[in-house]
Amino acid sequence: MSNLADVLVIADQLQGDLQPIALELLGAARGLAEKLGVKVQALVMGHELGDIPQRLIWNGADEVFVVDQPELKEYTTLTYRRATISVLEGMSRPPHIVLCGATTIGRDLAPRIAAYFETGLTADCTELDIGEYEHKGKADPSKVGTFHNCLYAIRPSFGESLKARIIGPWKNPQMATARTGAMVPCGEDTTRTGKITVIPVKFEDSDFRVKVIETVRDVSKAVDLTGARVIVSGGFGLASAEGFRLVEDLASVFKKSAVGASRKAVDAGWIPYAHQVGQTGKTVRPALYIALGISGAIQHRVGITHSDVILAVNKDESAPIFQFANYGIVGDLFEIAPLLKENFKKAFPASKEV
Amino acid sequence: MSDGYRIVVLIKQVPDTSSKAGVNPDGTIDRARAKRMLNTFDKYALQKALEVKAAHGGEVLAISMGPPPALEILVEACEYGADKGYLLTDRRLAASDTLSTAYALHKAVQYLGRVDLVFTGLQTTDGDTAQTGPQIAERLDLPQITYCERLEIVDGKARVRRVVEGGYQWLETPLPALITVANSATKLQHKRFGGVYAVKELQRHKERMDQTVFIVDLDKVGADSNKAGLVGSPTVVGKTWKMGEIGGSCVMFLGDSPKHNVEHLMARLKEDNRHIEELIQ
Ligand SMILES: Cc1cc2nc3c(=O)[nH]c(=O)nc-3n(C[C@H](O)[C@H](O)[C@H](O)COP(=O)(O)OP(=O)(O)OC[C@H]3O[C@@H](n4cnc5c(N)ncnc54)[C@H](O)[C@@H]3O)c2cc1C
Repeated sequence: MSNLADVLVIADQLQGDLQPIALELLGAARGLAEKLGVKVQALVMGHELGDIPQRLIWNGADEVFVVDQPELKEYTTLTYRRATISVLEGMSRPPHIVLCGATTIGRDLAPRIAAYFETGLTADCTELDIGEYEHKGKADPSKVGTFHNCLYAIRPSFGESLKARIIGPWKNPQMATARTGAMVPCGEDTTRTGKITVIPVKFEDSDFRVKVIETVRDVSKAVDLTGARVIVSGGFGLASAEGFRLVEDLASVFKKSAVGASRKAVDAGWIPYAHQVGQTGKTVRPALYIALGISGAIQHRVGITHSDVILAVNKDESAPIFQFANYGIVGDLFEIAPLLKENFKKAFPASKEV
Repeated sequence: MSDGYRIVVLIKQVPDTSSKAGVNPDGTIDRARAKRMLNTFDKYALQKALEVKAAHGGEVLAISMGPPPALEILVEACEYGADKGYLLTDRRLAASDTLSTAYALHKAVQYLGRVDLVFTGLQTTDGDTAQTGPQIAERLDLPQITYCERLEIVDGKARVRRVVEGGYQWLETPLPALITVANSATKLQHKRFGGVYAVKELQRHKERMDQTVFIVDLDKVGADSNKAGLVGSPTVVGKTWKMGEIGGSCVMFLGDSPKHNVEHLMARLKEDNRHIEELIQ
C-alpha cells in the first residue's frame, strides 16, 4: 500500500444527470492512481442524486463522497465552494491530486478552491500523467530538489503550437482541470464495488449571496457537441448568420449530429458560443467532422484532432485545414454543401434499424 | 465620489499571437520582439465597465500588472474612457503563475479602497487559463459570476446572464462582486479619444500623467513579496515540446466541377470503408 494520498475527481452532474466529463476524468484518474498505487475518489455534489454515487463506482471510483442537500440543487460558486472545502478539510488524508472538468462549472469552481488552499492549478489539460521532476531553481532556491510522483499536467500553450508540462509538487493537492473530450472513460462495470460516504455540510449565510433567478436549458436545442457522432461546422466563410441554415441542413442528413462553429463565426454573432469548437470552445471526438469555410487555425484544430474523419470544404486550396483533414474539397461551400447533402443520401442509403 | 459606482477593470498586455513578428520558428513567443497589445478579452470587460458608468455614474479604474511597457494599455484604457490607470510593476513579480498573480492583483484592488464592481476579461490570449478572476474573488471574499454575457444593475444589485452548457442562467448578486466578461457580452466601441498617445508623449504631458496613470509596486500596495512572483507560485513550466503533426495526407478533390468532386468523394469514402452509412438518418 502506497503511503501517498489518493486521486480525487470532482464529478460534474446537472439536475441529476452525470456529465460525460465526470466519466472521462475517472478514466484519467484511474490511470494516475494505478501509477501511484493509490485509490480513486470522487466527490459529487447536488440534490437528489439518485444512483449517481453508484455509477461513479461502476465507472472507476473506489470511494465516493456525496453531498446531497437542497442548497446544492443548482450550481452556485459559493455553495459548491463551501461543500468542496468542507469535504476536503474533513478528510483524514487530503488527496494528492484533485481533478475538475474544464466546464463552465469546473472553470468557475476549481480556481477558487485552489486559491483557498493556496495550491497550484493547471487549466484545460489535454493529458495527465505521473512522473519525476528535478528543479534546479536558480531563481528560487526554496523549491530546489528532485520530486517523485508529480502530477504532469499537460496542456497546449503558446497559441497551441506547443505542449507544456506544468509541475507543482511543492503544494498539495496538485490540481488540474481537463478539457471535455480529451480523456477516455474506463467504461461502466456494474460488478465494481466501492465505498459511498454521505457528508453533511453546514452552510453560512454568506454562501447564498448569489441567487439563481432562472436557468434556461433548451434540451431539445441543447448543443451536444461532445456526444455527437457527426459534427458539421461552419466558419467565417459562411459570410453571415443565414449561412448556418446550410450547415444545419447538411447536419440533418445524419443521425446524432450537431452544428459546430469556429470562433470567428461565434464572435461575429452568427451563432451562440455553445457551438464553438476549439481551444476556447469544445474538444470533440465525432466519427465525422465536416468543416465548411473554416481555415483551420491551430486553435480550431486542437478541438478536432480526435475526430475519426475530417472532411473540409474551402475555396482556398492552401488553407491550413487541408494539412490535417482526411478529405478536402476545394470550392465554394454554397455550391458544395447542398451537393454533399444530396450525395450523402444517395451514396449511403441509411442502414435500416429493426 | 458619493454618486455612482467605483468600478475596477483588470487588464493585461499580451503578445499579439496573430502577427508573425516575434514568433520563434518553434512556435514560442519571443516576448521582447513580439508586438504587444491589450488582451482582446479585456476590451469587453473594459467596455462593460464603461457601460455601467455611463448608465449609473461613477468611475472606472483600470489595473494592470506587468513590466513598464504595459503602461501603454493603461493609456489605451484611458483613451477608451477609463478615468485612471494603475500599473503594478515590480521585478519580484516575474514568473508569476495564476495563484501569485491573483494574490498581487487582489492587493492592488484593495489599495484602491472601496470598490463596487471588479471586471475581468474571460481569459487572456497568452496564458488563457481563465483562473485569475475567480482567484482574485476568493482572495477578496467576493461573490463572482463568470462567463457574463448580459448585465443589468437593478437596485444596487447586479443581474447577470451567464453562459452555461446548453443554455444560460440569470443570476443576481449584491455588490461588491467580481464579474468575468464573455465576448458575447457587448460590441466593442471605438476609442473615445482619437489617435494613440504614445507613452512617451504622455510622459511629456507630465501633468496629465500625474492625474491619470500611476505606477505602484508590491510595497506600495502592501503585498507580501513571498506570496508574489516566482517565489509565491506553486507551479512552474517543467517542459515544453512541439505539437505532433496529425493527419497530413489529405485526399483532395479540386477539379472544376463541384458535382464531380462530391461524387468522387463519395466513391472514395466507400472505397476507404469509412462506414458512413451508419451515420445517415
Ligand atoms: C487565445 C485564442 C483562442 C482561440 N480559440 C478558438 C477556438 O476555440 N475555436 C476557433 O475556431 N478559433 C479560435 N481562435 C481563433 C482562431 O485563431 C481563428 O481566428 C479562427 O478559428 C478562424 O475562424 P475561421 O476559420 O472560421 O475564419 P477565417 O480564418 O476567416 O477562415 C475562413 C475560411 O473560409 C474560407 N472561405 C471563405 N468563403 C468561402 C466559400 N464561399 N466557400 C468555401 N470556403 C470559403 C476561406 O478561404 C478561409 O479559409 C482562438 C484564437 C485565440 C488567439
